[in-house]
Amino acid sequence: METYLRAMDWLYRGCIWISGLAIVTMSLVIPWGVYARKVLGRGAAWPEPVAVFCMVIFTFFGAAAAYRAGSHIAVRMMVDRLPGGMQRVLAYLVDVLMIMISLFMIVYGFRLSQVIWHQSVDTLPILKVGLTYLPLPLGGIAIMLFIIERIWAGSQKSRPIVTFDNDPEPAKIDGGAI
Amino acid sequence: MDALVLLGSLAILLAIGVPVAYSLGIASIVGALWLGVPLESVMIKISSGVNSFMLLAIPFFVLAGAIMAEGGMARRLVSFAYILVGFIRGGLSLVNVLASTFFGAISGSSVADTASIGSVLIPEMAKKGYPRDFATAVTCATSVQALLIPPSHNAVIYSLAAGGTVSIGTLFLAGIIPGLLLGGTMAALCLFFAYRHRHPKGEAIPLRQALKIAMEALWGLMTIFIIMGGILSGIFTATESASIAVVWAFFVTMFIYRDYKWKDLPRLIHRTVKTVTIVMILIGFAASFGYIMTLMQLPQKMTQFLTGLSDNKYTILLIINIMLLALGTMMDMAPLILIMTPILLPLTRSLGIDPVHFGMLMIVNLGIGLITPPVGSVLFVGSAVARLKIEQVVKAMLPFYFGLLFVLLVITYVPAISLFIPWLAGMLSDRQFCVSTGLFCN
Repeated sequence: METYLRAMDWLYRGCIWISGLAIVTMSLVIPWGVYARKVLGRGAAWPEPVAVFCMVIFTFFGAAAAYRAGSHIAVRMMVDRLPGGMQRVLAYLVDVLMIMISLFMIVYGFRLSQVIWHQSVDTLPILKVGLTYLPLPLGGIAIMLFIIERIWAGSQKSRPIVTFDNDPEPAKIDGGAI
Repeated sequence: MDALVLLGSLAILLAIGVPVAYSLGIASIVGALWLGVPLESVMIKISSGVNSFMLLAIPFFVLAGAIMAEGGMARRLVSFAYILVGFIRGGLSLVNVLASTFFGAISGSSVADTASIGSVLIPEMAKKGYPRDFATAVTCATSVQALLIPPSHNAVIYSLAAGGTVSIGTLFLAGIIPGLLLGGTMAALCLFFAYRHRHPKGEAIPLRQALKIAMEALWGLMTIFIIMGGILSGIFTATESASIAVVWAFFVTMFIYRDYKWKDLPRLIHRTVKTVTIVMILIGFAASFGYIMTLMQLPQKMTQFLTGLSDNKYTILLIINIMLLALGTMMDMAPLILIMTPILLPLTRSLGIDPVHFGMLMIVNLGIGLITPPVGSVLFVGSAVARLKIEQVVKAMLPFYFGLLFVLLVITYVPAISLFIPWLAGMLSDRQFCVSTGLFCN
């Protein structure tokens, strides 16, 4: 189990890095596009599809990491008022349902990506449409691995690697909006 | 029956604790299976839901706000507000209100507002003799301004949920007066309490020092002028303005303020990833859910149902408000905007309510939901920052709830409050303005 947890630490780190690099890239690419258009006077078409692709990467890898960190918004009102035994049963049920939806993301995501693999994005022909769909099933795999970890070893949202960004002054909430 | 399958499965999934985003996804799969729609089309909707250029504005605005809030901006905005209103009786509560107004102009997050302004002002107010629960209540209640005053990523989410028929720029302009109205109402309440409970006065700041503080704050407040100026003059789109806000925020905190360290950046990005992606994936799954709802013709049915109850638009608006307030106490803002907008917008349109006006109503209404128990993320953050029990804060908050409800009613029944500036800026035609508000019809 320890090995699996450590592997998941790496996966978590990987997801955060990929997602973090994606948001940094998109924050640079779009201003560059504006600069090129307004200052250099030659608008380029590529920043837009590149940024959107980065956003898709950011979303699905980041959401997987966020699942491990327990920051997804869930309605806990009813569940928290139930007796402990019921809560545990429901927690398993939630895990099973989460596995189902991640399987859906993986299977249908790959299938979709495969079907349209050879189409190109109009504004940037080197970018294949199929590729832009790929973060969906890949993120699905990451979530699935995190769910397995949760079933096996319980929630890992308090691991140091997951919480290192928290302030020493705890203003952290579980499942918070932005 | 269709509706029961879709909404029923969503309700069950939410109740047993499946995260909201995935509940929407599973419910749309259930709905698709029920209708016999191929699951591929659900998948296509999810991925096209997050494949939009407009959507980029959300992570950008949140990131820009986060950089400035953590890079010492909050403290400077508080100081700036202090030189303007600190010397009045109850000065620090007024500072709290005004700092939130300013904060709203750099960030659209009332959670971030509460966390960053609260951590500066709640201890300060407690030290100067304000009751701690009162200080927290003021912080939470005034943070709703951040949702209205541009830039507001919730306005972007609403614009997306409305199917792109309402421009982000128009919504930004529309939020200005409602935001200030909310701030003004809160300030009036604070003044009332200040005189009743003899809250202390602050001292005036010498001019020289005041100028220096103002200059520093202006660097940050420039963001809003860059964003609005860019959008209104057509130099760049809302999404582009958001990305430029990120670059500007980075520039100001790193090279002007210089109290943020490079090594803190990974933490900031880490936090942004954890908070923003949950909203992004929510948008993706909500797109598939919206698609199934449309196939089931739920919005039309909802319209028929509600117009069957009453044909008076004021009554229907009241029903909608009560419904949203009830939902808002249990759920967060973004999912509710994404689920409820496609259901309610056809109805309100058919009643002649401008979608921009309706958007403001929805944002204020759901914003109140963020500070009401049992589930209110602003309330949770506020109590955590103040180290108080939630019940204590809620008790101190009671008069402010009335203030907020008053603002909600005014925004609901006086459309001109939301539509006046968009009309002035030419985003709304004279005819549209006349039809929605009954003003300037000649």
